[in-house]
Amino acid sequence: MPRVTVTVRDSGGRTATTSVSYTVAPPVLGGYYLSGNADPTADMAGGNFRSLTQYRSFADGYVFPGYQRPWLVELGKAGVQMNMVLELKHYGAPTFGPQSFTVDGTSYTVPAPAMTIQQRPGTTWPRAYGYGQVLAGQCDGLLARALSQYRTLGFGVNIQLASELDTDHEFGTTEAGKAYTWAESDARAVQAMTYIVNWFRARPLPAGTTFSVGVGGFDRACFQRTHPETLMAKLNYLQWNVYATSPTHTALARFRRTKDWAVADLGPVALSRPVIIAEWGVRVAEIPDQARWIGTVPAAIATLNAERGPRIVRTNYFNSGWGTLSPKSSGLAALRAAYATRPYV
Amino acid sequence: MAAPTATASLNASTYQAGDPMTLAVRYGDADTRPVTVTIVVTDAQGNSSAPVRVTAVIDPLTLAVTDDSGRTWTRASDNGSVAVYQAVA
Repeated sequence: MPRVTVTVRDSGGRTATTSVSYTVAPPVLGGYYLSGNADPTADMAGGNFRSLTQYRSFADGYVFPGYQRPWLVELGKAGVQMNMVLELKHYGAPTFGPQSFTVDGTSYTVPAPAMTIQQRPGTTWPRAYGYGQVLAGQCDGLLARALSQYRTLGFGVNIQLASELDTDHEFGTTEAGKAYTWAESDARAVQAMTYIVNWFRARPLPAGTTFSVGVGGFDRACFQRTHPETLMAKLNYLQWNVYATSPTHTALARFRRTKDWAVADLGPVALSRPVIIAEWGVRVAEIPDQARWIGTVPAAIATLNAERGPRIVRTNYFNSGWGTLSPKSSGLAALRAAYATRPYV
Repeated sequence: MAAPTATASLNASTYQAGDPMTLAVRYGDADTRPVTVTIVVTDAQGNSSAPVRVTAVIDPLTLAVTDDSGRTWTRASDNGSVAVYQAVA
């Protein structure tokens, strides 16, 4: 840590000396996600892309690196920082019954996922392993399977538990026939996330392993409920997602929203953690010139990082869903230009 | 003679490379005093010159700023009790 020292000397040679230490942070990592967890190598080639988000379900037998995803190992070994979103959510394979499998010589049987999440009226509610199931140890086999695969990767990753707890809980959850409100679901999730992080941390992990919990960051009360100091003490990063979905949305305002809530509502441990933006995107329907908006992001991040509060250290563009780049070529060119600009360099 | 005193503070604890940095130094010494000497020359006939004023500082202070990362700090202002230095991260 660099240090600046001041010496004051009087005419008689008497001195007073004082010093102050400071940190010069490394550049923010510009990152990416390509729809369907697809191979992003071609899109990233030649650009200053140094970070990647990926989504996996604990229900999947191939969490690390993922089914037919050798490119993830190549990118990781090349130094791309991986934000692996591991979800209790079941991705909707035709069968979601119990699973029996063997991990490193130990046999496990995991029951069928017993919770529903994202209970938006008029939609089919996705299934997920329940927070109660996690706390009862019924999902330990899923954790063991993921860890065993993780150890073969050859590099450490950030494990983001859940994609967006606020999206999962917004309309309540149901586990084993019992309904829980949004706030009750948040409290149960905090217990389950704590259990999972403790489970991993109690075992040898690849060097550089870090943890965070996933939130969209669109609801202030939920953000506060899901970031108690007891849980944050076990986590390495804060995380939220950022989308521009209105012509009035500026990059500074959108990236700032959840940060302001964090600074106002969270404790010192949480605020000591840097921030991963696991997803950010510009919705072309409302903002046809995505490239122009993308071009305003570096200055917005620099401004926010110059203010007090947690620093944003990775921003991964979500080229899917709301963030789909259209046309892709100009969007990618804008991303490349942005990531070639301070604070990304 | 009293010893000088100094405190220093930066405008942030973490900077991004390229950020402007500002260091404020508050300093002083109980002995340091501005004085004004007024001289009037009078001859034997009682004619006096116009007064001439000279100012001086008793026990003036000098400041030195060093940085172990080799960063150069440039003085932007100094009013005798607060000096401001600037650098680039």
